Amino acid sequence: MKGRLRLALPYAVLLIAAALLYYATTLIDTPRSGGARLGPDFWPKLIVAAMAVLCIYEIGKRLIVGSTRDARGLTAGLAEAPLEAEGEPVVSEWTPAQPLDNRKLLAGVALIAAFVFGVAYVGFFIGTALFLASFSWIGGYRRPLSVVLISSVGAFVLVVIFMRIAYVSMPLGVGPFQHVSTLLLRLLGV
Amino acid sequence: MDVLINLLHGLVNIFTPLNFAVMVIGLVIGMLVAVLPGLTLVMGVVLALPFTYKMGVEPALVLLTAMYVSGTYGGAITSILFRIPGEPMDVPLLWDGYAMTRRGQAAKALGYSLMAALIGGLLSAVVMVALSEPVAKVALSFSSPEFFAITAFGLASVVALGGGSLVNALISLCVGLLIATVGVDAIYGAERLAFGIPFLQDGIEFLLVMVGAYGIGEVLTRLHSGFVADGRGTGTSGAARFKTAFPRLAELLAIKGSFARGTATGIAVGIVPGAGATVSAFVAYGIESQFTSKSRSGYKLGDGAPEGIVAAKSAATASVGGALVPLLTMGIPGSGATAIMLAAFLLHGIQPGPQVFISSTALIYTVFAAVFIGVIGMCILGYFAIKPLCKVLDAPEAVVSAFVVVFCFIGAFAARSNLSDLYVIAIFGIVGFLFERFKFPIAPLVLGTILGPLTENAFMTTMVSFNNDWTVFFTRPISGTILVISIIGLTFPFLRTMWGRWRAQRERA
Repeated sequence: MKGRLRLALPYAVLLIAAALLYYATTLIDTPRSGGARLGPDFWPKLIVAAMAVLCIYEIGKRLIVGSTRDARGLTAGLAEAPLEAEGEPVVSEWTPAQPLDNRKLLAGVALIAAFVFGVAYVGFFIGTALFLASFSWIGGYRRPLSVVLISSVGAFVLVVIFMRIAYVSMPLGVGPFQHVSTLLLRLLGV
Repeated sequence: MDVLINLLHGLVNIFTPLNFAVMVIGLVIGMLVAVLPGLTLVMGVVLALPFTYKMGVEPALVLLTAMYVSGTYGGAITSILFRIPGEPMDVPLLWDGYAMTRRGQAAKALGYSLMAALIGGLLSAVVMVALSEPVAKVALSFSSPEFFAITAFGLASVVALGGGSLVNALISLCVGLLIATVGVDAIYGAERLAFGIPFLQDGIEFLLVMVGAYGIGEVLTRLHSGFVADGRGTGTSGAARFKTAFPRLAELLAIKGSFARGTATGIAVGIVPGAGATVSAFVAYGIESQFTSKSRSGYKLGDGAPEGIVAAKSAATASVGGALVPLLTMGIPGSGATAIMLAAFLLHGIQPGPQVFISSTALIYTVFAAVFIGVIGMCILGYFAIKPLCKVLDAPEAVVSAFVVVFCFIGAFAARSNLSDLYVIAIFGIVGFLFERFKFPIAPLVLGTILGPLTENAFMTTMVSFNNDWTVFFTRPISGTILVISIIGLTFPFLRTMWGRWRAQRERA
């Protein structure tokens, strides 16, 4: 039963989201046109309803019937390798062979969140250099000198390309970080 | 005759300094992207898209077309030499190509691959030019019911042609269509699903959804399953001795059937929205296996037969021309990469479709010319660039992915200099990862976001024009036929599953 619940969970979450969104669509201002014309709420309601029906179908299938067999798209099964004459399996390199690493994933998400929220404070150059270094390290590239070099040079090159050549106004940061960014841009002649 | 003259003008346009420069840049980047660990062709085109915002529409489309064309070839080199497919479309190449490499015929395998890409690409470009204007003329007679049917067909085929769960693909599509409704409704001006949040009131830019889901989502997925820490350097140092050896004319003529079948399959499958180069390559390989059990060279398909390389590669490159036909004539992308090109058109305020052939003839024929020149340029680059391309394989995936994320953010920020766009792409990056993790395909989500407004607009306009009579979609011959095909495409997998279950029960009983 636990297994069935786990399989139905994503659809349950989506069903709850669909219910909330359906409620949100009832709050859309509809014009008073004598009820003849479809209002601005019709299309989103139709989509949310379709989504809810699909989720209910999957929840019912997995929870009640206990089936995980899915109707597959028309290209299912295309990617099967032909039989190897010599018996050696041909492995395509893009199938992941390592176990899933939730810690790396959470660290990656945290880094992305930190960059998104922090870049306005520390500025583009420092934020990018820190991000490149941290993400490469978390991703498994463990050569400290190379990481420092790649991240600092990489961030500098990106500043040159986007702030000096393309004149994209990236965040400068606040306080001392703004001073660093401004100094760098002055050195580059911006 | 007009077509030839317009094409000539297009070719002249390609050789202007700016267009030629972006063509070369696009060819190089496309090939690099196809080889770099952690990057796919569609991701590369998505990442390039925000940077085309500041370009004119012509160089933007030339850049993306060049990337698209050369991105279909780059992965073939690593697939054949090192058993590392740069793209999913290159997996069939490693079945026969790598087998040839093991026999000491790597150069020949590369030669077959190059010739297949050249012939498939050029022939499909010819078909693309020949078909586009007639199709556009037919599309000019379309009204809102037909446009709804066409967009619905595009959305249905991207769902039906996936390899995973059909229900998950439909749910993904619904999410994409819902995202497209956020903001102010185009017909009534009513605010929808914005919840009073200012940046949602402007709507969610499809660019942010694409960059987030395809770019950051893919990086998170690969981070979760583990990057290759120090590049795939093992064995690539031998690249110095690899080169391309062209097959003799007699050898090419001996397998002309494989060229023809692969190219025809690529064009036909490429035209179908949602199919693309990967599906084309696999379908062509499957068809070839019906015709070629044993190669003229004495090897079985899958064991180093050149026919396997030729069928898959010619189909993959031929799909480019095929995919551009529905995009340019009806505004329906034929593949993931053409969905990005559609976004490029829309970013520059142009709605591709039959009207564009009248209002922007020069632009359309410049894109056609870009395909011709791009195919030739791709082959020249592919011939000379083996060593540097193989060196690129050594780039550590963690570092490449870090740069990919930064490029995603730069691209999102550069469009409007709005920090809230970074929040949106980060959110859609997580959404993209969750979708991949729970096996909900991304392509329907993205296409739903792009085509959602068009689909809704066509539907609502029809309802207004025909007094809410929904049967008009089925009573008009063209829209009725297209919708019936869409419905069959969506229901066939369910029927197939039920049939298989019934047969299994019968056999057990």
